[in-house]
Amino acid sequence: MLKGHLDMIVLAALAAAGSAHGYAVIEEIKRRSGGAFDLPEGTIYPALHRLEQAGLLKSTWTTADSGRRRRVYSLTRTGTRALVERRAVWKQFSDAIGGLLGGNRPRETPA
Amino acid sequence: MIPDYLESLARELDFDRSLSRCVRQEVEDHLWEAVAADSTGNTPQAQRRAIASFGDARAIAAQFAVVSLAKHTRRAAVAAVLVIASDLIAMKARIAWYAAAQWGTSDDMRALRGLVILIDRYAFWMSVIIGLGALAYIHSREIPAAFYPAYRRQLRCFSMLCHATAAALVVSVLSDGLLTALQLRGMKLSVEIWVAILTMAIEIACVGILLVHIRSMTLRAASTAALAKT
Repeated sequence: MLKGHLDMIVLAALAAAGSAHGYAVIEEIKRRSGGAFDLPEGTIYPALHRLEQAGLLKSTWTTADSGRRRRVYSLTRTGTRALVERRAVWKQFSDAIGGLLGGNRPRETPA
Repeated sequence: MIPDYLESLARELDFDRSLSRCVRQEVEDHLWEAVAADSTGNTPQAQRRAIASFGDARAIAAQFAVVSLAKHTRRAAVAAVLVIASDLIAMKARIAWYAAAQWGTSDDMRALRGLVILIDRYAFWMSVIIGLGALAYIHSREIPAAFYPAYRRQLRCFSMLCHATAAALVVSVLSDGLLTALQLRGMKLSVEIWVAILTMAIEIACVGILLVHIRSMTLRAASTAALAKT
């Protein structure tokens, strides 16, 4: 299930972090999810490349304090828009499931 | 330990040298940062933990292979359209040259010429339509996270469209070749004739480029499938 939402998770982490390299994205995901997502860290990198290819992210190479080359990612406008859309879909889905499990009626969405 | 892991990851991604180099640098930075953040410091255990958390090199490479394949297929689609456009330019340049040189057409073989022109026209416009269709098809699809069966179906469909584009273009270029041969029949070798031959050579080279792209894409898809299987 997590894999199906990996793109949204990465986009959300990057939106929160501003711009970040892969390691910082993973740390942001761990921090914001309270360590709930336990997926191989290496999985994030193909996702970052895929999202960049799809035009949702952009990246630049910098040099870290350690002297190593570092690739820093940030959201593009398209990426920000995609995140807003995915958030809305997730909220709708989450409300519906919440209503089913908790017995609360989900709020009516305007047509 | 980390250099060995990076070496094995880079080896798995060897089919795409620039991707391999770029991923190696990115992962190297990640692993050493993870080691630096480890409470035990730079110890073999910390390195082992960083590698274990990162995941199996082959599994990670398989995911990168899908991204690389997607990039490759999109490039092939763009190449197909550019090749068709280049063919059109070469074709029009040759016709303009015939007009400028005031080369008329002889009456004999008129029927054959008419038939070949008809085949050429239909084949060329068919390649335009299918090529644009292939471009629209592949760009309207999302890049998948793994080599899913649905993605395989997409690739098969795209590959068929590319092959159909190439086949139609080959027919068009062969027809052009025949028309050029009919036009130049009986003429002595001169600078003017070389212009017609050069434009034909450009057309043939363009088709060659498209075929190379299709073959490269097919090989890449096969290696990605092999990597995904293991």
